[in-house]
Amino acid sequence: MKKSASAFVSEFLVYLLVLTGFNGSVWLGTVWLRHQISETAQFTKQTESQLVAVERRLAETTARLASELSPETLQAKNHDMQLGLVRPAELHIVRVEESPEQRLAAKRNFDIFTEEVSTGESAVQFSFHDPGSR
Amino acid sequence: MTLDRADEQFMSKGFASSFRLVLLATAVLVCFASIGVRLVHLHVLDRERLVSYVDQARRSVITEQARRGDILDIKGDVLATSRTVIQLGVDPQMLREQDREDWPELARLIGLPLEQLIATFNRVERVDDSGRVRLVRWAKLVDEIEESTYAAVLELGIKGVYGNRSYRRTYPRNQLAAHLIGFVNRENAPSGGVEGFADFYLRGQDGWRQSERDGLRRELAQFRNRQVPANDGFSVVLSIDSVVQHLIETELAYIGDTYTPAKASIIVSDADTGFILGLANYPTYNLNEYGRASLDVQRNTAVTDLLDPGSTFKIVPTAAALERGLVTAESRFNCSIPAMEWRGRLRKFMPDDHVYDHPLTVAEIISHSSNIGAAQLGMKLGEKGMYSAARQFGFGEPSGFPLGYESRGLLNPPEKWSALEITRIPAGYSISATPMQIHYAMAAIASGGELLRPQIIKEVRDDTGNTIYRFERTARRRVLQTPVAEEMARMLVGVTEEGTAKAAAIAGYEVAGKTGTAQKLVDGRYSNRNHVGSFVGFFPASGPELVITVIVDDARLPGRRVNYGSAVAVPAFKRVAEQLISYLDIKPTVAPPARPRFAMEGNRW
Repeated sequence: MKKSASAFVSEFLVYLLVLTGFNGSVWLGTVWLRHQISETAQFTKQTESQLVAVERRLAETTARLASELSPETLQAKNHDMQLGLVRPAELHIVRVEESPEQRLAAKRNFDIFTEEVSTGESAVQFSFHDPGSR
Repeated sequence: MTLDRADEQFMSKGFASSFRLVLLATAVLVCFASIGVRLVHLHVLDRERLVSYVDQARRSVITEQARRGDILDIKGDVLATSRTVIQLGVDPQMLREQDREDWPELARLIGLPLEQLIATFNRVERVDDSGRVRLVRWAKLVDEIEESTYAAVLELGIKGVYGNRSYRRTYPRNQLAAHLIGFVNRENAPSGGVEGFADFYLRGQDGWRQSERDGLRRELAQFRNRQVPANDGFSVVLSIDSVVQHLIETELAYIGDTYTPAKASIIVSDADTGFILGLANYPTYNLNEYGRASLDVQRNTAVTDLLDPGSTFKIVPTAAALERGLVTAESRFNCSIPAMEWRGRLRKFMPDDHVYDHPLTVAEIISHSSNIGAAQLGMKLGEKGMYSAARQFGFGEPSGFPLGYESRGLLNPPEKWSALEITRIPAGYSISATPMQIHYAMAAIASGGELLRPQIIKEVRDDTGNTIYRFERTARRRVLQTPVAEEMARMLVGVTEEGTAKAAAIAGYEVAGKTGTAQKLVDGRYSNRNHVGSFVGFFPASGPELVITVIVDDARLPGRRVNYGSAVAVPAFKRVAEQLISYLDIKPTVAPPARPRFAMEGNRW
């Protein structure tokens, strides 16, 4: 009788230890999980902070850029750097009525579209070096 | 048998038979029981007190400040924006001796004299109002530093030096369009201009999040349980063009330096839509230093201040008489008579500057700006007709300009007119109007007969750049039939070709306009020395693109010359118009000016 009671207590203690071990593992797992959640949340928070910081720097840069591009700043730079830039007067403006691309192409290719070339009266001439002159 | 006994003996000294083990098991159970009791105490018996303590100590609601939207011009250039600034301070209790060598660099970065910085650092105690000595935990070093400077400060790693961020409104173009933009003060309250009018769109909505903090007041991000993100404000795009605005402000600065007027205004608007491209007043102020400007200077005088329109008002009786078929452009009036009998009484005219040797046509009345001719046109209309025409052109009522505190002007009903007013009002006296009303009366002719609503906001965009709302051209009413408006435009071209504003003529362009010179009321009398000179015009007359108004109040001309509209306002109009022609690429309508030839171009034209 005594033996069986002892065995029961022994068995109970073993199960208790196993249960404690199991519970401990579960709790440890939970703690680890919570730690990971905390780490992830912290990482997200840091990323958000970085994003906000970038936006702040962007706003600051935008403001500074706008300030640098203001007409009075540009005028001051024009004066300080002695660039001599002036506003165009009507005299300086040539109003282009036709297609600007065609006009620019015509200007660029003015030499090769001379009358002689286009009519074939004058063939293209190539000038070779005299081999003996070297 | 021996084995059985041995087994029995072993079992009798088994695992559970040991007293120590029983003791251990009991101890474990007692520990668990203690923990259980403590848990019951914490979670059940003392729950209320502890929960409230935790709530106070750990839970917090953190506000996420929304960023105020930008104000942009029509090209997308930033006129007003929000950026963070940092108020830098120090907790003297946390300073470390090892950081002392970095103090000079910190002083240099924040622009504070080193002695002052050291004095602030060394002040570790203060005496409060009750005479108790307290530790200083925060002492301000500088009010505002930029993000880049703050980053450099943090890199120094001086423990105890830290900053608090806040949004601050900044105006990168300083005084540009100051009267239109308005400002946001240090309490984040908008004042005037677009800042005030469009605050609903601009201000955004702050967000918040409920979270917990640790013992060092750091947020524990994993305990965020509620979060409402901040909605940044919308951006407001104005119809203003920064370059146009700068041009007219430069012109006003020149007028201010040269003629020291009491005030002056220039308005430029799109003839077709009525959108304002530029509006400036003299004097003006720097939006980033609004505190230094008096309230008088901050006022948008183009909409708040009244003046007698003078001869610029003559377009009203003329157009109304043409519209109602009472006269034609060729109808003639004797403009050399000092008075005229009307409705049984002799009415004395305001004298003209010139004596005419022939009766003037309606077109000549306009081009020569005859007071007598305008009065006779007014008489043709009658008091009620004259009053009705003025109201039709927008006088005596708010123009609907959304910014500032617009005045409705002063236009008495005919019952209150004195006997002389039928001769005065058609010439632009005994009536008061804002520069904005005068401008849009002329714009009604330029638009082909419609009185347009002055508008300054073109569209509203969200923070990703999508358009939320677009403002369109709005006509208040039709004032003239288009042929009458065309006839008026033709007559107004005469003003710059052979009339009072020849100096406004621009080669290659038909400029239509009207000068105005009004004596100012000083101590209840019209002064002979104080005048308001003005010119309101548009071009090209055959296809109007721009309407420009220049009004100069009490300019001081050399030799005590009178501030006629032709003296100051007309040249200013021409300078502005010429620059706008090249900037906005407005094509000539009359004959192309002689084409320049540049050596670099050879004969390739």
